[in-house]
Amino acid sequence: MAHEIEMHENHPGPRQYVVIGVILAVLTALEVGAFLIEGVNPALMVSILLTLSFVKFALVVGYFMHLKFDDQRFLLLFVVPFIVMASILVALLALFQNLTR
Amino acid sequence: MQYLTDVSAHRTSTGLNNRKLLMWAFLGSDVLFFGTLIATHLVYRGKSVSGPAEAILDIPVTSVSTFVLLMSSLAMVLALAAVQKGDISRGRFWLAATALLGMGFIGFQMFEFTEFAHEGLTPRTNLFGSTFLIMTGFHGAHVTVGILWLWSLFFASFNGKVRQDNSLDVEIAGLYWHFVDIVWIVIFGVVYLIGAYGVEETVHAGVGTLSALG
Repeated sequence: MAHEIEMHENHPGPRQYVVIGVILAVLTALEVGAFLIEGVNPALMVSILLTLSFVKFALVVGYFMHLKFDDQRFLLLFVVPFIVMASILVALLALFQNLTR
Repeated sequence: MQYLTDVSAHRTSTGLNNRKLLMWAFLGSDVLFFGTLIATHLVYRGKSVSGPAEAILDIPVTSVSTFVLLMSSLAMVLALAAVQKGDISRGRFWLAATALLGMGFIGFQMFEFTEFAHEGLTPRTNLFGSTFLIMTGFHGAHVTVGILWLWSLFFASFNGKVRQDNSLDVEIAGLYWHFVDIVWIVIFGVVYLIGAYGVEETVHAGVGTLSALG
C-alpha cells in the first residue's frame, strides 16, 4: 500500500511548545491579577480580559492545533463558524440589553 | 525538525486527509454549539430573581483548574511531537499525563458543582443555575469524552497501534483536546472573570466593547 507522506518540518518542536505553555500560564496569571485589581473602569477591565483571553485562544489554535502551519482550508473551517458565533453573541447581547433596559 | 506522518492510505480530491477535515468540520460545528450555550448564559446573566447566582463563583479554585487544563494541552502537544518523532514510550507518558490532568480538571468541576449544590444552586434553582450548569456541564462532558479517547490511545500504544506512521490518530485526538481547552479559555475569561467582576455594568460595557470591535 503506497502511503502518502506529509512532512511536518514547519511545526514547532517541544522546546517551542513549552515556551508557549509558559506564556499561556503567565497570561492566565495576568488575567486573574487584573481581575483582583479594584476600582478599574468596567469597560477597560472588559477590554483587558477579552484581549488576554483572545491571545491565549490564538496561541492554542495557532501553535498547539497547528493552524498557523497547516492548510489554510482548515483555518477557514474553524474561523467562519467562529465569526458567525461571535456575531450572534454580540447581536443577542445588544438585543437583550435593549429589551431589558 | 522533521516529522513523518502517514497522511492517508488513499488519495482525496481536496488533497487533505478526510479524517482531519472531518474533525475540523466537527470542531467548527461545536464552536456554534458552545457559542449558543455561552450566549444564552450571558443574556440571562443578572436576571435571576431568587437563589444564589454570580457571586457564588469561586475564582481562585477555577483559576487553578484553568491552569491544569492549559497544562494538559501542553502535555497533549508534547505527546504528538514524541509520536511524530517515533518516540512512542515518551508519547505514551505524555498521553497519560494529558489524561490525568484532564481528570484533575473534572475533579475540580465536580468539587465546584457539589459546593454549588450545598449552597442551593442546581439547574432548577434559577436562570443562572440553568444556563451556567448546562454550559459548563456540556464542557465537562466533552472533557470526559476526551479523557476516554486519550486512555484508549494510551492502552492501544502497548499493542503497537500508536506508531510514527499513523501519528494522525494522535493528532486528531489532540485537535479535539485543544478545542475543549480553548472553549474553557473563553468560558473562564468571559463567564467567570468578566461575569464575576460586576455583573450588570460589565455585561453592558462588554456589549459596547464588542460592538466597537465589530
